[in-house]
Amino acid sequence: MTAKEEIHIQDLLKRYWDCQTTLAEEQELRDFFSSDHLPTSWQHYAPLFSYIRDEQSVALSEDFDERLKVAMEQEKKGNQKYITIRIFTPLLRIAASLLLIVGMGISIFFITRQNNKPWFVETYDDPHAAIKDATYALQVLSHALQTTEEASLQTIRVIDDLNINWTALDSLMAEEITADSLAALTQEEDSLDDIGEFISDHKQHEEI
Amino acid sequence: MNRTTILMIMLLASTTLFANDFITQFIQKYSEEDRPLNNVNIGKKMLDKMAANTQDEELQNTFKELHSIRIVNSDNAKDSRYYFEKANELIETEFGDYEEVVSVNEKLSRISVWMKKDKDKRQEIILISLDENSQLSIITVSGKIDFSTISKLSGTLKNEPDLTEDQPEDSGK
Repeated sequence: MTAKEEIHIQDLLKRYWDCQTTLAEEQELRDFFSSDHLPTSWQHYAPLFSYIRDEQSVALSEDFDERLKVAMEQEKKGNQKYITIRIFTPLLRIAASLLLIVGMGISIFFITRQNNKPWFVETYDDPHAAIKDATYALQVLSHALQTTEEASLQTIRVIDDLNINWTALDSLMAEEITADSLAALTQEEDSLDDIGEFISDHKQHEEI
Repeated sequence: MNRTTILMIMLLASTTLFANDFITQFIQKYSEEDRPLNNVNIGKKMLDKMAANTQDEELQNTFKELHSIRIVNSDNAKDSRYYFEKANELIETEFGDYEEVVSVNEKLSRISVWMKKDKDKRQEIILISLDENSQLSIITVSGKIDFSTISKLSGTLKNEPDLTEDQPEDSGK
């Protein structure tokens, strides 16, 4: 390397660092620093220029266009999907509301079918213990029904004994009943008093 | 967010509304700590087990058809009278769909039986009684109830040694 060349490279380097070099001059620098016979004092610049040269040599692969096209098509398809969802958004809202209402309906239906007892807790685990209370409940219910039945039969018997003329009473019911006409209906005068007494007694005693 | 909250509240309110049967509502509304009440609940599973363990055919059939039996009673005369009034108040104000089918007013005891019949033939019976010792019993029975069989049961129950040896009131709390 001649002194002239050295001065020239030094000048180029100086202008390179000052960002005053032309593209041709930069290429010249890259060529110089990629040569094998670099002076030792400049060897530390070599990696910088070789890096720039390598980076500039990077080119698009042959299938780049194709890949780009495919990517763009996929993007398009993606956009189309999004548009579909947007179109159906109101319908989805309606469907969600319907689902919620149906869900509520089903919940309420099942809750009511649980014999309306969400807080129903079995008292017993043992049927032998439970049977005493169950029979007690049925006994009380049975007693109430029997008492009513007996009272009804007794009432019917007493009314039968009064020997009331029901046909005449029915015909009179259509008209306006007065106390005097009611008295005339009974075959015996005392019967009316008996009815009154019976009714007042049994009103206190039981209602059917 | 607000809509969701309102919907949740409506759902909870509706479940609460549907959830309350007579005894649940009675206990929730009127039960007081210083007026203790005994409560016994017997559900469908237990009734089926009882039916399986009973020898008497009539009783067995009755248990099979029933869905639940619930009993509330009070041992204290003063509390019983208080709760008796409250139970009648509750049934008249909140349970208008029940019809009074039996009412016995004797000198020392009062019994009323109320009934509601569902579309699926399941019946709900509420019995409110204040006996001669002024002891309250509220009994609800639900299921397919045959009145004629139940009214005949009294004799059967008395003749069943396993069922009548102990006082049933003592076992439930």
